[in-house]
Amino acid sequence: MVTLMHFQIVSAALFSVGLYGVLARRSAVLILMSIELMLNAVNLNLIAIASFTDPERFAGFIIAIFVITVGAAEVGLALAIVLRMFRNRATVNIDEIELMKW
Amino acid sequence: MSWFLFILLSVMAIGGGLGVVATRNVVHACLFLLFSLLAVAGLYVVLLTEFLALVQIFIYGGAIIIVLLFAIMLTRSKEYPSISDNSQWPLALVSGLALFSLLTATFVVNSSSFEEMHRVALTDLGTTLFTDWALPFEIASLVLLLALIGSIVIAKVERRR
Amino acid sequence: MIGMEYAWLIPVLSFVAFPLILLLGKFLPGKGSSISIGAIGAGFILFLFVMVDRLSNGATEQAFFKIDWFTVGSVELTWGFIIDPLSVSILGLVTFVALMVQIYSLSYMKDDPRFNWYFGIQAFFAGSMLTLVLADNFLLLYIAWELVGLCSYLLIGFWYERKPAVEAAKKAFITTRLADVALLVGILLLYKQVGSFSMSETFEQAELLMAGANSALSSGTTLIAALLLFVGAMGKSAQVPLHVWLPDAMEGPTPVSALIHAATMVAAGIFLVARTFVIFEAAPDSLLIVAIVGLLTTLMAASMALVMTDLKQILAYSTISHLGLMMLSLGSFGYTAAIFHLMTHGFSKALLFLAAGSVMHGIGRTDIRQMGGLIKVMPLTALAFGIGAVSLGGIPIFAGFWSKDEILLSVLDHRHPIFMILVLVAVFMSALYMARAFFVAFMGEISDENRKGHEAPVFMAIPMILLAILAVTSGLLALEWTDSFRGIGSFIFAHEGHGFEFNLMLGLGSTILATSAFIIAWLIYVKGSISISPFKRTFAPIISIAERKYYLDSAYQGFIDRVVLVFSSLVAKFDRVFVNDFAVNGVAESVKRSAFTLRHHVTGLIYNYAFVMVVGAIVLVAAWWAIAVKG
Repeated sequence: MVTLMHFQIVSAALFSVGLYGVLARRSAVLILMSIELMLNAVNLNLIAIASFTDPERFAGFIIAIFVITVGAAEVGLALAIVLRMFRNRATVNIDEIELMKW
Repeated sequence: MSWFLFILLSVMAIGGGLGVVATRNVVHACLFLLFSLLAVAGLYVVLLTEFLALVQIFIYGGAIIIVLLFAIMLTRSKEYPSISDNSQWPLALVSGLALFSLLTATFVVNSSSFEEMHRVALTDLGTTLFTDWALPFEIASLVLLLALIGSIVIAKVERRR
Repeated sequence: MIGMEYAWLIPVLSFVAFPLILLLGKFLPGKGSSISIGAIGAGFILFLFVMVDRLSNGATEQAFFKIDWFTVGSVELTWGFIIDPLSVSILGLVTFVALMVQIYSLSYMKDDPRFNWYFGIQAFFAGSMLTLVLADNFLLLYIAWELVGLCSYLLIGFWYERKPAVEAAKKAFITTRLADVALLVGILLLYKQVGSFSMSETFEQAELLMAGANSALSSGTTLIAALLLFVGAMGKSAQVPLHVWLPDAMEGPTPVSALIHAATMVAAGIFLVARTFVIFEAAPDSLLIVAIVGLLTTLMAASMALVMTDLKQILAYSTISHLGLMMLSLGSFGYTAAIFHLMTHGFSKALLFLAAGSVMHGIGRTDIRQMGGLIKVMPLTALAFGIGAVSLGGIPIFAGFWSKDEILLSVLDHRHPIFMILVLVAVFMSALYMARAFFVAFMGEISDENRKGHEAPVFMAIPMILLAILAVTSGLLALEWTDSFRGIGSFIFAHEGHGFEFNLMLGLGSTILATSAFIIAWLIYVKGSISISPFKRTFAPIISIAERKYYLDSAYQGFIDRVVLVFSSLVAKFDRVFVNDFAVNGVAESVKRSAFTLRHHVTGLIYNYAFVMVVGAIVLVAAWWAIAVKG
């Protein structure tokens, strides 16, 4: 019998994987992909909870829709910045973008 | 039956995620992401929310992956096709594992027995969205507008006069 | 009819004159001197009115005038004046001598570029000194005391382009300042016990103590307070060993020496002891110490005056010697005698200094070895100097004789015979050095260069004449004249008035001593019939000690060099190393260094920042979990 806990564990796993990606990957685009993974994990969690517990208000579903929306907007914007960065520096390697250091 | 589906889809999702963060090829990473997202959509179906599964496929699979692929195309550098991880990956590993254990522990401890999945009527969902959640809806549309304008402004090519 | 209630105007007029002179002086004729002389002249006239008022209204009573100044907590500070025979007498002395000196300065300081500043300070000094004399509470006295010291500093160092003048001014100020610390402690000690700065209250308590009744003062405290006050008096009145500043103070203009270092400021110490005499009487041992110090001073200074060769220095040491004599008198319960001598000495010494100034003005020199026969070119000055010398030497008729005699009388009556013997030695020496100065400078052969010297101009001559008259006649104050004025003994006294007393033996003895001294000096220096070289040879070591001022100056300098400066360099080092480098700069340094180290956390790499955020988030979640969930 699949319970809420199982879905949540999957969500946690996805989130952690995404976290690793954010912290460890070298290309800016890859980082963005990992962020998308994290957002997805969160969504899964929300929807699972809503599905199991919330018969009246559907708050989880609605919020999940909004998460998707904002996630999409954020990706568009972030990729615009990445493009700009690439135009200026010919690289998306974040190791090489360290002007604002001590 | 739902068990089997659940396990399969979970493995696909997590596997896809691992693929995203482990592969050296950026395009492969993108495809892995698509794979994982589709698996998640499947999980939504298991959760009896087909509408959201559709939304997921459309937006993520249809729009975001395309955009990501475009970005990959436009930002080709000499390091293609193989990109390694950066210098703090051990720390990232540790923190990832730490967070996973923390969250899992939380979820396990807090699990009351929620066993019933209930289906949501789409019309009810729509009604709530446009009445109780009308304001966030409008704001979300504003957010999208801003993102649109913003990305155009940022990525615009300046013409020299 | 103007009476005593206007006495407060006397100092105030001079105080007001000071800023007026500085601000307006340049525009007025006489460049400010008119304001100053006007103020002090008015003061003198007021004094005369006050004097008359006093004499007709119960000469020996005390009157008080008081204005409340402000109150801090339980401390009440008042601005008050006391009019009693002591203050009236000194008032007369100060106003008259100040007036004479200021008139004299019109001529003496005529071409000085800082003419109006000079008169400004003269006015300020006059105001301060008069306040000191009239003050009825210790705080006001102390304030005036310090102001007088300040004016002395400013006037000694008036010609500040000359380094010796600057050094002398510093020396005077620092020496008297040390003494003033003792004075302040003494005042505060009295305040602590009596609970008020008012002199009358303090004196009341002292009298209770003397009578054996319950008093706020304890005998131990009274003794200490009296001694502390005396130390303060020692500074201003140049008692040994705090006398070292007075000879150096001769660097100032001669009128200044006449006023401040002969007649008035140095009298402040004597005045203080006299004013607070009842406190000294309540602790009789203090008076013994006063007498001993006075005796020591008078002997040492007289010996030094005998060997000095600079005219002003001789006069300076003579002043110290006479101040010692006055202290000795006070220490021998000779209250009246001391004040009387203060007055006669004031007139005579001022006269002598003005004459010395005239000599300097005339021939431009002060070394008596380069003088001689000056009577031929400046007879008036010579006469003036002669009168002053004779007066202070103690020849009868002249003022000094009468007051000296009273002093001798009190020493005889109240002190051990050894005091008497030694004071007679001092009397002999004082006559001797005065005679020496007069004969060497004014008698004998005149050198060709000195022949070109000139007599004093009119404004310098008039004060000398007036003071000479007083030097001759003021002695007669000792006698009884009218019903209300039965001689100075009935006017100024400590406990009971007494009429004129005369001990024939004593008077005769002192006259013989003085006259023989003058004759001996004449024989040595004018006639040349007695040679002093054998005398000089026998006493050569003592003479050389006296010439080196008993090594006191070098002792002080050594102490300063080895103790004071060492200590201050230690303190300076502490300030530099600990306070500055460690505490102040050190804090800044450590901030700088820690910032320098900490800045490395800004690596510029986004993933580092992301990691830190994640760590923070994890910590927060864990904390929440531990608190909220586990609880």
